[in-house]
Amino acid sequence: MSFQSLENSAPARRKRAKVSLFAQGEPMIWLTGGGLAIALSMIIGLLALIFYHGINTLWPVAVLQFQTLDGSLYMGEITRAESFRSNDAEVRVLQRRLVRTGNFEFSGEHFIWINDHDVQAMTQPEWAVVIERTAWGRFYGFPESFTLAGETVAITPEAAWEKFGQYHGAVSERREKIRELETKEVGRVNRRLEKSRLALRAVEMSKGLNRPAWQSEHEKFLETEKSVTKEFKTLQEKIGLLRAENSRYVLNLKTAQGKAVAMPLEAIVRAYPANQLSTLGKAGIYFSRWQEFLFNDPREANSEGGVFPAIFGTVIMTLLMSLAVVPFGVMAALYLREYAQPGVIVSAVRISINNLAGVPSIVFGVFGLGFFCYLIGASIDELFFASSLPNPTFGKGGILWASLTLALLTLPVVIVSTEEALAAVPNSMREGSYACGGSKWQTIKRIVLPRAMPGIMTGMILAMARGAGEVAPLMLVGAVKLAPELPVDSVEPFVHAERSFMHLGFHIYDLGFQSQNSEAAKPMVFTTTLLLIVLIFLLNLLAVRLRTRLRRKFVSTAF
Amino acid sequence: MNKIAVRAVVIAATILSAQAQVQVDAGLPDYIAVQGVSGTIKGIGSDTMNNMMALWAEGFKKMYPNAQVEIEGKGSSTAPPALIEGTATFGPMSRSMKQLELDGFVAKYGYKPTELPTSIDMLAVYVHKDNPIKALSLTQVDAIFSKNRKLGNAENLTGWGQLGLKGEWANLPISLYGRNAASGTYGYFKENALGKGDYKDSVKEQPGSSAVVQGVATDKGAIGYSGIGYKTADVRAIPLARDAFSYPVEPTPENAYSGEYPLARYLYLYVNYKPGSELDPLRREFIKYIFSKQGQMDVIKDGYFPVPANIARKTLESVGIKAGF
Repeated sequence: MSFQSLENSAPARRKRAKVSLFAQGEPMIWLTGGGLAIALSMIIGLLALIFYHGINTLWPVAVLQFQTLDGSLYMGEITRAESFRSNDAEVRVLQRRLVRTGNFEFSGEHFIWINDHDVQAMTQPEWAVVIERTAWGRFYGFPESFTLAGETVAITPEAAWEKFGQYHGAVSERREKIRELETKEVGRVNRRLEKSRLALRAVEMSKGLNRPAWQSEHEKFLETEKSVTKEFKTLQEKIGLLRAENSRYVLNLKTAQGKAVAMPLEAIVRAYPANQLSTLGKAGIYFSRWQEFLFNDPREANSEGGVFPAIFGTVIMTLLMSLAVVPFGVMAALYLREYAQPGVIVSAVRISINNLAGVPSIVFGVFGLGFFCYLIGASIDELFFASSLPNPTFGKGGILWASLTLALLTLPVVIVSTEEALAAVPNSMREGSYACGGSKWQTIKRIVLPRAMPGIMTGMILAMARGAGEVAPLMLVGAVKLAPELPVDSVEPFVHAERSFMHLGFHIYDLGFQSQNSEAAKPMVFTTTLLLIVLIFLLNLLAVRLRTRLRRKFVSTAF
Repeated sequence: MNKIAVRAVVIAATILSAQAQVQVDAGLPDYIAVQGVSGTIKGIGSDTMNNMMALWAEGFKKMYPNAQVEIEGKGSSTAPPALIEGTATFGPMSRSMKQLELDGFVAKYGYKPTELPTSIDMLAVYVHKDNPIKALSLTQVDAIFSKNRKLGNAENLTGWGQLGLKGEWANLPISLYGRNAASGTYGYFKENALGKGDYKDSVKEQPGSSAVVQGVATDKGAIGYSGIGYKTADVRAIPLARDAFSYPVEPTPENAYSGEYPLARYLYLYVNYKPGSELDPLRREFIKYIFSKQGQMDVIKDGYFPVPANIARKTLESVGIKAGF
């Protein structure tokens, strides 16, 4: 019976096989599915690479000491290893390791390659200490003793280290206090003097030198200068006292080569005995590094410290850009879709907008530089900031000009998506509104716009994603390597639209291609990239949430 | 003839190990802050000097917390237009201004910009760290990088075998790395190493000094040129000889100061200074900072070489600042 059925079904199957594979649609499923799989694996691979490197960079590793065959000593962290072929008569495959040795002021090198076959002994010294300094990069060495106000109070590594732990917190606090005094107080005093000098210069330019008006202004200036001098002096004394207190604490160390180094505690940002750390201790260092990376200013030509100004600049610029682009884009789309008579001109405008989306971003950058900075900015300077010329105020790249340039760049995205959203609102709804006696504008405001809102938000999200990731035009209109002054701060007028700013995308370019200590900067590229991706993701998430809320609100009022 | 020259060079080459650390001239003064300095400094220009400008900016900001300093470094050629337009306070340049650029400035202001030599750089020729080549003469460098061979090498050099390397290197083609045309390094190398000849089309132009070094680091047959400050453990700066008959010279600080190294140059800062006038406090103090002990320490930190005190004094006087040392 079963044999029979098999025999019966066989011809049927053969018959089905004759039908073309394509007609069944199977290959197309595989083709499209395969396309998706490849695209996904590329995206996931890229993200995984960035994530892996970005997460690992800041994790502290062991410090090793190498003694080579010629008797020299090196100490540092292993960065990576590779194999290479020797150049001798017989070709051998050998191993070598790149070691971060730091101590740049003594050796002139940050990293060296050590061949495995040259190494006589490799040890993990118990008291090897990694020190991250405010200047000169990392230091690797052994603590020897601790000096307090010129007196040696500890002579063993353990005791010296204990003293370090005891005093470092207070010294760091004082360093922060000095910094705050310098930036806030001294800054305030200096600004007062500068303001007075500019006022004098303005009078000089409008009224002329040595006129009565100038004389009185000049006297005022001299008076300010006098009081400022006095204030400045008291501040300097205060800072001097703190500095003197800080300079009393010195940790004495020895490098692997035996050179004695006296390191003031003030110069130390972070120090740890790398080979004694437990996993928990390592995690502590790791998170403290992340905290520094996220919330501090960069140091040492951007190769160390944090990226806070860049994060802040990126976010502010993206928000300013959305603020500029969304209203204009929506208004333009409204006119095009709701008011304009369809015809040749409207079609031409639409084609132009679509073409605008295809213009390379650097062209927008050049336009922004020529139009915003050199033309509008220079005119604003001449009208309102003449007294500080030749130093430009608005006549150079700045966050306002950068946001406007990017707003131009993303305008087509907003217009096109808004138009799509408006077109999707059924005409019957408009007609219903008219039938109830609503005017055109009332219809748009009450009926069309609320319905189209989610679509408009989608356009905004796309524009933000594009704008935050764009770097090329920014290089021309205001993103710079170093601008620790934030565009928004507590000094009046609070928003400084003319200031240049730092941008994460540009920071990545700078670290990757222009950093002097490029070996140390490379891992930071990954970390910064990870940060930029996370930031854009968060901005998008915010906009998506906003859209969902709007949509829900709309759905609940519908019937 | 080529091989003989190479051999002579190989024999003559002295291999110095670790480079001695340079010191700042003891005659330079400590920088002492004065009051009343604030405003914005904007530096636009050289990429070679980018990090140094950033270091100066950091040091200066420590002295004057509310002076704002903004640094932009996309190549020396971006400095003159920025100075002329008035968008920059300082124009760092890794080469002297060309006549055309000077003319543009004079046309607008009626006087020339002032050139301040801030530090000394050596343009190093880098090869991969495993490359056994001992030294090169400028004639050979020209034949490697230029299609015109203005310095008169007989044959075009395209493979390491032509330079006398043996074994696996004999068949390895030379892969060229260089800077883009906006860079002062590009112009300086063209003028001083290629006898104003043109670069070969096969030069891979890089957007930054560090990018050249990174390119050479990952490409075994590579050769490239960049500032000495960008050297890493992955590349080797080879000794250079002026011509086939001179001794090759190591890129060490002593050889830069003595002028024996053929590609040593000043790194300049250009400033819009009307001769005879007085600089505003902001610019005056920034310049004074650069030519102080701290400023020149930053130079060393970035891997370049500080200027001696007598040059610092002359430079300060050229912009109407009393040196006082």
